[in-house]
Amino acid sequence: MFLDAIKTIWSGSGFAAITWKELIMIVVACVLIYLAIAKKFEPLLLLPIAFGMLLVNLPLSGLMAEPVEGSTEPGGLLYYLYLGVKLGIYPSLIFLGIGAMTDFGPLIARPSGLFMGAGAQFGIFAAFIIASALGFKPQEAASIGIIGGADGPTAIYLATRLAPDLLSAIAIAAYSYMALIPMIQPPLMRLLTTKKEREIKMEQLREVSKLEKICFPIVVAVFCILLLPSVAPLIGMLMLGNLFKESGVVDRISDTAQNALINIVTIFLGVTVGATASAEKFLRPQTLMIIGLGLMAFMFSTIGGLLMGKLMCWLSGGKINPLIGSAGVSAVPMAARVSQIEGQKANKSNYLLMHAMGPNVAGVIGSAVAAGILLALFGK
Amino acid sequence: MSISESLVVTVFSMSLVFAVLASLFALIKILPMVLGAFVNKKVETSATSDVAGTPVAVAMATGSGSSGSISSGVLKLIDVDEKTAAMIMAIVSDETQIPLSELCFKSIKALQN
Repeated sequence: MFLDAIKTIWSGSGFAAITWKELIMIVVACVLIYLAIAKKFEPLLLLPIAFGMLLVNLPLSGLMAEPVEGSTEPGGLLYYLYLGVKLGIYPSLIFLGIGAMTDFGPLIARPSGLFMGAGAQFGIFAAFIIASALGFKPQEAASIGIIGGADGPTAIYLATRLAPDLLSAIAIAAYSYMALIPMIQPPLMRLLTTKKEREIKMEQLREVSKLEKICFPIVVAVFCILLLPSVAPLIGMLMLGNLFKESGVVDRISDTAQNALINIVTIFLGVTVGATASAEKFLRPQTLMIIGLGLMAFMFSTIGGLLMGKLMCWLSGGKINPLIGSAGVSAVPMAARVSQIEGQKANKSNYLLMHAMGPNVAGVIGSAVAAGILLALFGK
Repeated sequence: MSISESLVVTVFSMSLVFAVLASLFALIKILPMVLGAFVNKKVETSATSDVAGTPVAVAMATGSGSSGSISSGVLKLIDVDEKTAAMIMAIVSDETQIPLSELCFKSIKALQN
């Protein structure tokens, strides 16, 4: 009787049901947890993503199980939380927080940063062409390409709409490469610029009035949403968050958006995106291709931004340091920091951080616009 | 989708990204002019309506409209190099326990002995 009881418990447990594919996924999740904790690879998102991946690959847990029609049994916890991703709620709320944290002052002071932000979207479309050539459907190719925008919420938003099956691979690639920006960008920056260009010291930015800062989110939201309605959730929330910050009259709301709200949403977003990485969806050759294409997209985006930076340098008569062009990929503020570090390596008295923040925040707008265009072209 | 089709999509999409951001560039360039004209008009109105209080009214309107709060990217350095200024800002932040993002420095001037 005792043995029967043990047999029953064993056969009903996850140990008996686990497959080798799930074991591999558990190992992958543990590697990602290690990278997040020990190597600090975008830990705020990679840690919940990795743990979500771990949870969903533990058999019989039913965390992502859909409710059965006609049954009173509810679905799994993560299934319900995942609805926020599926319906595009979490990425938009993350953009609200990002908006509340972003200072568009450097961009308003030197709007030419917008061109570098546009140039740095080149990687999205370069990866799109290559992914299409490799046989991915246009929707999948567009979702893979958006990794080059270096913007996690935008990548997740587009992938859930165009290629939900690829969501986990795309999100993991996007956040991993964002963490690797200090390794990916510098060699390209040195390769594409001369020492003389890297040494350029930029003039101080002009003063930006409070009124300009208040009007900016309103003007951008009205213009972009009228032009590309599909981008409304992302740009609308980004600019609303920024208006909260710049208006100066809703400090409590602004504080909530940039702290409590974004932290809560980050937990839900990370865990549920990770939970889409079930063994059968993740362990396939496509995942490796997505990871390779994502790296390519990041590199082409950096090249696009740098080339635009070089053009701006030439047009301005050598007043703009082309290194700030690479900050056009929207990983804020990591990409701007890389420009600062590389600028200072060339010239110790060089302070490029504030100058690089212009193209950096322009990249956020640029990648959202690119996502809106792809959504308009390939959305159902 | 063939490569030629994806190239067409790329050219079209990149052109559209540039067009949208170029339009934003134009809007940002126009914005200070529009706001400047609006603020100047407001200053003129308040100056004519209150002759006795002219200096105060003009000063207040100019203060809130044309300069207003200053971007964190703008700081007047008078006889101070950027490195020293960065050090001073960090010290002030540390001593006052106020994060740098919440402090607004308008100018840093070296005192002459």
